[in-house]
Amino acid sequence: MGAFGHFLVSHFATLRLEFWGLLVGGVANGLIYGMVAVGYTLVYGVLRLINFAHSEIVMTGGFTSYFVLRGLIGTSIPNGWATVGVLVVGMVAGGVSGAVMAMLVERVAYRPLRRRRAPQLAYLISAIGASYFLFNLAGKEFGRVLLSVPQPYINHPIFSVFGAPVQLYYLVIVIASAAMLVGADQFVGRTRLGRGLRAVAQDSETASLLGVDVNRTIALTFALGGALGGIGGFLLGLGTGVVYTMGFVPALKAFTAAVLGGIGNLRGAMIGGLLLGVVESLSIAFVQPAYIDVVAFGILVLVLLVRPTGILGERLGRAA
Amino acid sequence: MKLRFNKTVAAVTSSAVLLMAAPAVGEVSASAAGVPTYTIGYQGPLSGSYAYLGEYMYYGALVAINNANAGAKFGKLPFKLKLARYDDQGSSTLAPAQAQAAIQNPSLVAIVGPAFSGATEASEPYYSRAHMATVSPSATAAALAKGARNNFMRVVAGDDVQGAADANFLVKTHHVKSLVVINNGSFYGAGLAAVVSKQAQKDGASVTNYTDPTTGSCGGTASTTQYAATATQIMAAHADAVYFGGYYCGFGLLLGALSSAGYTGTIMSDDGSWSTGLFGDTTPPTAANGVYVSEAGGGNANLTGKLASQFQKLSHQKAQGATYAAQAYDATNMIIKAMLSIKRSPKIKVLRAQLVVELHKLTFPGVTGTIHFQGNGDLSRNSIVEFAQANATTKTFKVIGHS
Repeated sequence: MGAFGHFLVSHFATLRLEFWGLLVGGVANGLIYGMVAVGYTLVYGVLRLINFAHSEIVMTGGFTSYFVLRGLIGTSIPNGWATVGVLVVGMVAGGVSGAVMAMLVERVAYRPLRRRRAPQLAYLISAIGASYFLFNLAGKEFGRVLLSVPQPYINHPIFSVFGAPVQLYYLVIVIASAAMLVGADQFVGRTRLGRGLRAVAQDSETASLLGVDVNRTIALTFALGGALGGIGGFLLGLGTGVVYTMGFVPALKAFTAAVLGGIGNLRGAMIGGLLLGVVESLSIAFVQPAYIDVVAFGILVLVLLVRPTGILGERLGRAA
Repeated sequence: MKLRFNKTVAAVTSSAVLLMAAPAVGEVSASAAGVPTYTIGYQGPLSGSYAYLGEYMYYGALVAINNANAGAKFGKLPFKLKLARYDDQGSSTLAPAQAQAAIQNPSLVAIVGPAFSGATEASEPYYSRAHMATVSPSATAAALAKGARNNFMRVVAGDDVQGAADANFLVKTHHVKSLVVINNGSFYGAGLAAVVSKQAQKDGASVTNYTDPTTGSCGGTASTTQYAATATQIMAAHADAVYFGGYYCGFGLLLGALSSAGYTGTIMSDDGSWSTGLFGDTTPPTAANGVYVSEAGGGNANLTGKLASQFQKLSHQKAQGATYAAQAYDATNMIIKAMLSIKRSPKIKVLRAQLVVELHKLTFPGVTGTIHFQGNGDLSRNSIVEFAQANATTKTFKVIGHS
C-alpha cells in the first residue's frame, strides 16, 4: 500500500471514529430537544399557542435540581445504587418544579387572557413577558454566573459504539429521556386523562359538552409539558451547569424540533428533536462548530419548503 | 528605537494640538470646603458572566482611589477623587452606551479600562473623540495598539507577546506535535488564538483551528452542544494539546466536554481564563485540574501586604489570584499621578486632553513593574508572560514559570 493508501485508511479510521462519536452525542442532545419539544407541541396542540416561557420551565427544572443535589450530596460523589437514587431524586425535583412552574405560568399569564377571549397576539406578548420576568428574576436571585451542578457519578465511558466511547452521562440521558418520552406518549394515547387532552385538542367546545373539564385539562397539558421540560433542564444542567439563561438556546432548538416534526404532533416532536440533535452534531464533521446553528436552521427551512406541516404534520388530536 | 521615538513625539504633539482645541470638559465640582472633586471611571464587566474578572479590577482601582484620598500614596491631594462604575458586561454591544455615559459625566477625567478587548474596540472611537485617556488593566488584543488613537494605553502586554509565548510553551517546552486551537469568536479570543496558531506552526507543530462561539450559558447565543462535538473531533484526531482563546465561562464548558470525552492531553488557555470563576463554571470542577493558563505584563503581580488587606476588605475576595486587580491599581495610580503633574496650583483645572499628554510622559513604578507607555499605548518594557497551573481542589492557580 502506497503513502496515499495509508493516508486514506488512517483518514477513514478517523472519520469513522468521529462519525460514531458525533452520532452518540447527537442522539443524546436530540432526546433532550425532544423532551423539551413535547412541551411546545402539547400546548400548541391544545391552545394553538407557542409558549415562549417554556425556556424558563427548563431553567426552573435545572435550578431546582441543582439546589436539591447540592443539599443532598454537596461535593461528595456517590456510587452504585446511591447514584441511581440521586439521579432519580434530581429528575423528580426537576420534573415537579417544571410542572408547577408551567401550571403557574398558565394560571397567571394565559388563563386570564383566555377568559377575556384575548387575540392571539396578546398571548404571544404575555408569553414573552413571562419569559423575561422569570429569567431576570432567576438572574437576580441566583446570580448571573454559570453554576457547576454537583455530580452524582464519575463520568467514565461505560461501553463503546464502533470504537467511540459512550460516557455514563449520555447513558443517563438516553435512558431517562427515552423512558419519559415513551411514558408521555402512552399517557396521552392510552389513559383517560390523555383522552380528555386529545378531545380538547380536537374540539374544546364539544369536549366541554361531553363533560371534559377544559381548564383542568389545559392545566394538565402544561404540567405534563413542564415536567418533561424540567427534567430536560436537570439533564442539561448535569452536563454543562445551570445559569439564568440556560433555557434559551435549547428551548429555541426544541421549538425548531417541534416545528420540524409537525407542531402539535407528540411523536413528531420526538422525531424532530432526535433528527435535529443528530444533524447538528454530525454537521461538525464538515463545518466549523460556529456553523452548526446555520446547518440546523437551514435544514428546518428546507424541510418546511418540501413539507410545510413538518415531518409528521398532524395535529395532536388525531395523531396520538 | 527611532520608530518608537517618532511615535511618542507624534503622540505628544498631536495631543498638544488637540488640547488647544479641546472643549472645557473634565472640569470639577467644588465641594463645600472648596476642594474640587474629580471622577475617574472604571469601565468593565460588573454584572453578567464575567463579573468576577471585572470586580477584581474595580476593587483594585478603588483601593488606589481610597489611598490617594487618604493621602497615603501621594500625600495630601489638591482635590478629592471619586470612582464611577460603567458596567459594560464585557460586551462590545453594551460598551458604546457606557462610553457615552462616561463622556457625559462632566467631572470625569479618565477611564480605568475598558477591561475587555472587544468592548475596548467598540468604545475607543467615542473616547478618542472626547480626548479621554483610557488606561486599560487588561485589554490585550494586539490590534488595539495599532491604531492612531493616542488616548488608549494599557498596563499589560499585547496578545502578540502572550500568544507567541503560549505557543512556545506548548510546542517547545511540552513538545506538542499536534495542537487544536479553539477561539470563542470574540475580538480578544480570535486575535489571540490566531497568534498562537501562527507561532505554533512556525515552531513545527501541526495546528487545527476551530471557532466555538460564546454560548447562551455565557452571555452569547450559540449552543453548548458545540463543545461536546468539538471534543469528539479532538479525540478522533488524537491531538496532543488544546489551546483555548477566550474567557473562563466558555473554557469551563470546553473542559467539561473534554473531560467527558476522556481527553488526557495538555490543555491551555489565556488570562481570560485565569480566574477563580473557572472552577465554578467547570462541570465537573475536577476537569479544570492541571490545565495551564498564562498572563502577560506584570505577570502574576498581586496586591500584597496592606494593599491586599484593603482589597479583601472592600471586595470580600482574596487578593492572591485576583486577576488584573494589581494592574487596575497601577492604572488608577498612573492617572492620579498624571493629574498631580497638571494640577500644580489650585487654580489650574485638569482637562481630559491634558491627561493624555501627561500619561505619555510618565514613568511610574507600579506594583506590576515600571510603567511607561509607547506612542501606540503599549508598554515600553519587554513584558514577561507567566504560566500557571490550575488546582481544582484548592481552587487556585500556581505559577510554574515564565517566558
